[in-house]
Amino acid sequence: MADLTPAQRVERLERHLHEHGHLDSDDVDAAVAAVESASGDAPSTALGARVVARAWVDADFRARLLADPMNAVAEYQPQGVPIAVLEDTPSVHHVIVCTLCSCYPGGLLGNPPAWYKSFEYRSRVVREPRAVLAEFGMEVEPDVELRVHDSTAEQRYLVLPVRPPGTESWSQEQLATLVTRNSMIGTGRPRTP
Amino acid sequence: MDGAHDLGGMHGFGPVPIEADEPLFHEPWEGRVWRMLGNVMAHTTVDRFRYTIEQMPPDEYLASSYYERWLWALEHLAAEQGLLDSDARPPTVAWPSPTTPTWAGRFRAGDQVRVRNAVTDGHTRVPRYLRLHVGRVERVACAWPNPGESAATGSYGEPELVYTVAFAATDLFDAAADHTLTADLAESDLEEPWPT
Repeated sequence: MADLTPAQRVERLERHLHEHGHLDSDDVDAAVAAVESASGDAPSTALGARVVARAWVDADFRARLLADPMNAVAEYQPQGVPIAVLEDTPSVHHVIVCTLCSCYPGGLLGNPPAWYKSFEYRSRVVREPRAVLAEFGMEVEPDVELRVHDSTAEQRYLVLPVRPPGTESWSQEQLATLVTRNSMIGTGRPRTP
Repeated sequence: MDGAHDLGGMHGFGPVPIEADEPLFHEPWEGRVWRMLGNVMAHTTVDRFRYTIEQMPPDEYLASSYYERWLWALEHLAAEQGLLDSDARPPTVAWPSPTTPTWAGRFRAGDQVRVRNAVTDGHTRVPRYLRLHVGRVERVACAWPNPGESAATGSYGEPELVYTVAFAATDLFDAAADHTLTADLAESDLEEPWPT
């Protein structure tokens, strides 16, 4: 087994599963193609961005999103796990991680980026978050409270970033274009106009 | 279990490998592993999947990529479930319902709690860096079946309260740290702080 490449091991596994009627390879092709082109209401950065942008313009939705995130997020995409929303303010900044594996709000944002799953991020962000955030080009002022959330149970976290200044007249759709994936993880800020 | 997967707070890893415009899958086989995992996950718990990965030999774990670790678990779980040499389909395991807990637990927001040092070679979601530390309960996070039991049995039991507990990084790591750490910990992993 040690001599096989991962691709060869996957082929062998797929062949065995197929031979015994447990897998249809066309389904695998279709599922991979679908997730690679996720759009609309499928979990993706774009879907998370729509939720964040709405919370920026719709005070009632923001209140529901913070008080009852399961049901507020379900208006966009039903979640199979509990979800919590972490509200950034000018004086508090949140960052999420899963030190034990790779838990991520995938039901909303889709699959996590590779760096989120890396040994480097998982080991270091709980211990030296300011140094790690600096590697993302992000400086958190010393007087800002930094809160790092280790996703050690089935609850998933979404960071609600601060709305960028200078966007007072922007529509919800325009605002959504400013929301980055990293700003919903806490390793970045939204784009500025 | 005390495994190589329990990375929180470890020294020695370098800069975070941030890749611009990364693809969802870097190799076609990664996407197939991602999809095929669904075939075995239908017949077990997510905790047993995680526990299987945790049983990779530490040197192999640290030398493997993310989807190589998934592949390792997929091979082992598919074999365990008999999917590689039998047409028989094991029973489906239903995913728990993420309902909001309505019952009161042992702890309340504001309580000081100590993380129990209950370490076996079974599965736990208590990271090493939190064991025996005292934190403050912020709120009930959710109710969920106990991960150690779900990993051992391959099925989900009754939900247990899970609390979001906050810790001062200065207690966990070093005096210069000024941030707050939170983790979501099962009631059975927490106890009243010892008298001082």
